[in-house]
Amino acid sequence: MIEQNLILILVLLPFVGAIAASTISVNSRNAAAWLAALVMLGGLAALSALHAQVAEGRVPRAVINWIPALHLNLSLRVDGFAWMFVGLVLGIGLLVVIYARYYLSKTDPVPRFYAFLLAFTGSMIGLLVSGNIILLVVFWELTSLLSFLLIGYWYQNPAARDGARMALIVTALGGICLLAAMLMIGQIIGGYDLDLVLASGDLIRAHATYPVVLGLFLIGAFTKSAQFPFHFWLPGAMAAPTPVSAFLHSATMVKAGVFLLVRFSPALGGTGAWFFAVTGTGMATLVIGALIALFRHDLKGLLAYSTISHLGLITALAGIGSNGAIVAAIFHIANHAVFKASLFMAAGIIDHESGTRDMRRLSGLMRLMPYTGTLAIVASAAMAGVPLLNGFLSKEMFFAEAVEWHNGTWLDNALPYIALVASIFSVAYSLRFIMTVFFGPAPVDLPKTPHEPVPWMRRPVELLVLTCLVVGIVPGLSLGPLLNMAAQSVLGPETPWFSIAVWHGFNTPMIMSVLAMALGAALYFAFAMRISDGPEGPPLLHRLRAQKMFERSLLALSWKWPRVLHRLAGTERLQPQLRLIVLAAIAAGVATLWAGMRLAPQPQLTALDPAFAVMWAVGALCGMGAAWMAKYHRFAALVLLGGAGLITCLTFAWFSAPDLAVTQLLVEIATTVLLLLGLRWLPKRKEEIADDRLASARLRRLRDLAIALVMGLGMAGVAFVVMTRPTTSNIGDWFLRNAYHEGGGTNVVNVILVDFRAFDTLGEITVLAIVGLSVYALLRRFRPAPESAESPIQQATDAPRLKDAMFVPSVLMQWMFPVMIVLAAYFFFRGHDLPGGGFSAGVTLAIGLLVQYIATNVRWIEARLIVLPIRWMGAGLLIAGGTGMGAWLFGYPFLTANAQYITLPLIGPVPVATAMVFDLGVFALVVGATVLMLIAIAHQSLRIARIRAQDEPQPSEQAAE
Amino acid sequence: MNHLAGIPLWIALPVAVLVVTGSSLALLGTIGLVRLRSFYDRLHAPTLGTSWGVGAILLASMLLFSWLESRPVLHEALLGILVIVTTPATYLFLGRAALHRDRAENAPDVPKAAADDKAQD
Repeated sequence: MIEQNLILILVLLPFVGAIAASTISVNSRNAAAWLAALVMLGGLAALSALHAQVAEGRVPRAVINWIPALHLNLSLRVDGFAWMFVGLVLGIGLLVVIYARYYLSKTDPVPRFYAFLLAFTGSMIGLLVSGNIILLVVFWELTSLLSFLLIGYWYQNPAARDGARMALIVTALGGICLLAAMLMIGQIIGGYDLDLVLASGDLIRAHATYPVVLGLFLIGAFTKSAQFPFHFWLPGAMAAPTPVSAFLHSATMVKAGVFLLVRFSPALGGTGAWFFAVTGTGMATLVIGALIALFRHDLKGLLAYSTISHLGLITALAGIGSNGAIVAAIFHIANHAVFKASLFMAAGIIDHESGTRDMRRLSGLMRLMPYTGTLAIVASAAMAGVPLLNGFLSKEMFFAEAVEWHNGTWLDNALPYIALVASIFSVAYSLRFIMTVFFGPAPVDLPKTPHEPVPWMRRPVELLVLTCLVVGIVPGLSLGPLLNMAAQSVLGPETPWFSIAVWHGFNTPMIMSVLAMALGAALYFAFAMRISDGPEGPPLLHRLRAQKMFERSLLALSWKWPRVLHRLAGTERLQPQLRLIVLAAIAAGVATLWAGMRLAPQPQLTALDPAFAVMWAVGALCGMGAAWMAKYHRFAALVLLGGAGLITCLTFAWFSAPDLAVTQLLVEIATTVLLLLGLRWLPKRKEEIADDRLASARLRRLRDLAIALVMGLGMAGVAFVVMTRPTTSNIGDWFLRNAYHEGGGTNVVNVILVDFRAFDTLGEITVLAIVGLSVYALLRRFRPAPESAESPIQQATDAPRLKDAMFVPSVLMQWMFPVMIVLAAYFFFRGHDLPGGGFSAGVTLAIGLLVQYIATNVRWIEARLIVLPIRWMGAGLLIAGGTGMGAWLFGYPFLTANAQYITLPLIGPVPVATAMVFDLGVFALVVGATVLMLIAIAHQSLRIARIRAQDEPQPSEQAAE
Repeated sequence: MNHLAGIPLWIALPVAVLVVTGSSLALLGTIGLVRLRSFYDRLHAPTLGTSWGVGAILLASMLLFSWLESRPVLHEALLGILVIVTTPATYLFLGRAALHRDRAENAPDVPKAAADDKAQD
């Protein structure tokens, strides 16, 4: 129980700290730094409390079940490897917090920095201790996101913005691949538990999809660890404040990728594909990183490429995958974190004190800042792999693995030589860093005169360099136990104990080290002048900038291609969109129905009623007429469309579907009127269009006709096939049988809507609300075409008399208002038992309001009656949702309805159902949404009238809009 | 004739007369709509159906269903009011619109607007 809480504290404390830090005032720099430091210390304390258990080889866990049925649990576990890594993160995190306190200037919003840093630490720890691979991906993406925020901390700086964006795109893209890989692994082994995954390596490797899983997994790991060819985001991320670089690129962010490789090597590793992909990429990155690092003039750029190179080394070790290689990988993870953090901090100090990071301008700083110089020299010696420093030991182990391990492939045979070449470059760039910055003549013409920094800014570097020395001199005593603990948790408890010694005797790795040292120094001294005079990058290769290529492809992906696509299928032209939608519908219909859709053997046909046939002939003629007239006579088309709608309505009534008939009639009225109002703003169609008679236009029309015919005939065919099938018992029968007992209503349609399938209805009214708001939003910004902005000719010629013309009708229409309210109430109250219901009632009331708007004008009506449609909609949603939640009070699931009879005075027993309250919500929402669209159109007229009034010197009273 | 068989003659007779009257009026109105020449003439014909045509049928319905259900059935009154109030408004609209359009297009045989109409505004 205690360990469970300790693990939870370990993960949650940084997030709590981040929230606390974000609330601190911008000026209290010390408070934020203290808070962050205390959080890191608290994490370290929790971690050390766990040490005893982990050292015994046990794995403390904290599991909170979330969705056990889907194997999704918040499961956290701390084994030796995670313990060591968390220690590294928290330890370096603490030093970074102290360092950042003195690094960041007074004008920087420091609490934000610490909040991001703490949240990042929390997600990194979560990633390390996740016991569920989906949870791991969640934390993985969190680190991507927070590193984006950290790299973009100085967002005023375009380089920081670009670097942050690039890091986010690359690493988050890798995260998606990783998620896919994890889901596939989960499918293969039937669970997402990390222990299960690690134990079922054989199952995964034998599976047919193993290459795909491996590929996706490696893309995830390589993007995070900046492996070639995804390395380019890391130098871009150097625009971050140096403490961020020191933290992200030494111990945390980039190490997450190699952590993952080492962690999953028992599950995915050991195959030829793994070896070639991982070791090959690692070695390529190792050489390329070291080579480019030598040619960088920017101090942090050199360190960035050196980081890439060292990550390649660790990746290569993880790819080799032998026991010794895994130990070496873990060892180098720790060593690199220590010396690279100190180097970044030293570079930050140099930048901070001298004002530049350009190595061509820096020189002879040893005289001005001897302490910092000494520290940096020791750290870069560790980076180069000088004996008695920690970098030497792990590099030696790497050489040993490269030489000893054999599987006989060409890559394996080439390993020692590649390692040697990379090592030569690594010595050369370390030497370049030391020689150019600290030795030589005194610097001239620097932005600031460098001097030693404040002591506390140097303390973290001192501590880290001391660690380098201690681990380098007495490795067995200092890091040995931890390293073995970590290795055992990765490789299994029967792993032999590795003793790390400083002196292995005069063997091949030793010779390689000496050779690398000598050749590296020779290389540097031979080419020092040419390197510093040359371009920023290796000869020839510097023209190939991965960063540039990325920017270019990003531009194509996010700007050029979308614009092409937008031009082809964008919202500016509705015709292609409609065409695409219809074609997609045809394709989907054909794909799903072609195989299984057959006419029933004995189609059930009813005799054709002549009256019905005549009615339908009229309806069909109306429909075709509407299509015919739509081109030049939209108004006539609309009238004909109304005719077709009316026939549909009559058809429903004919076949005893009064509910549908009522709804159809009301909706028909509302849409016709709204369309009519909208027609006003469409520009008049010109009778003659020059291109209209060309062959291409004719062809286009023919094609559209064909599409329309296929769609229409297809729909008719499907309907015919479905309706002539023999009736079988289906869900409808159940609804018919149970509507009264279960739902307490005799109108089955309404009971289905508000009771049986109320959840669907809730979704639908939500959609309706969204649609209403979208239409409103679109119309608010709508500016009509110039030719339709004019007052229409009918209003312009004889405008004043319109008022008289409207007099009698408008009085009558005002009289109709109460009648329509009564009708709406009638529909509403009888809805549960007879045709009607909230929807019909809502549309009825909306039509009532619509009639009032038409009867007079917007100003008149709104001076007397203010409808607040948004409130109606909100109230509707609240009522409907609240009714659903009301069921919880009685211990029933969401939206459980209740119906019973209550006796009212005078009236007698009345059936009452909670579904009716739900229906009230539907009613209010339908009223709101319909009226919202109406008001949007009505106000369009007002707005245009105002614009016209501004244009004309004498404003004329418009009688009716 | 199932449930209608038991209706006494004194109910059936007025119901039948009313239904026949109403539907005849509606039919007459429809024939008029087809036969008459000008738009303004045509406006008048359907009002036969929408006034007494509907009224008679609704009265018949009220009578019959009050007897069948043994309670006064008055819904149709609301329908009648709605029809009687709304159709004149519709025809007024149509007539005014036609007049407005004809005047705007300076069609022949259209009375000019009264002079004081213009002066008013």
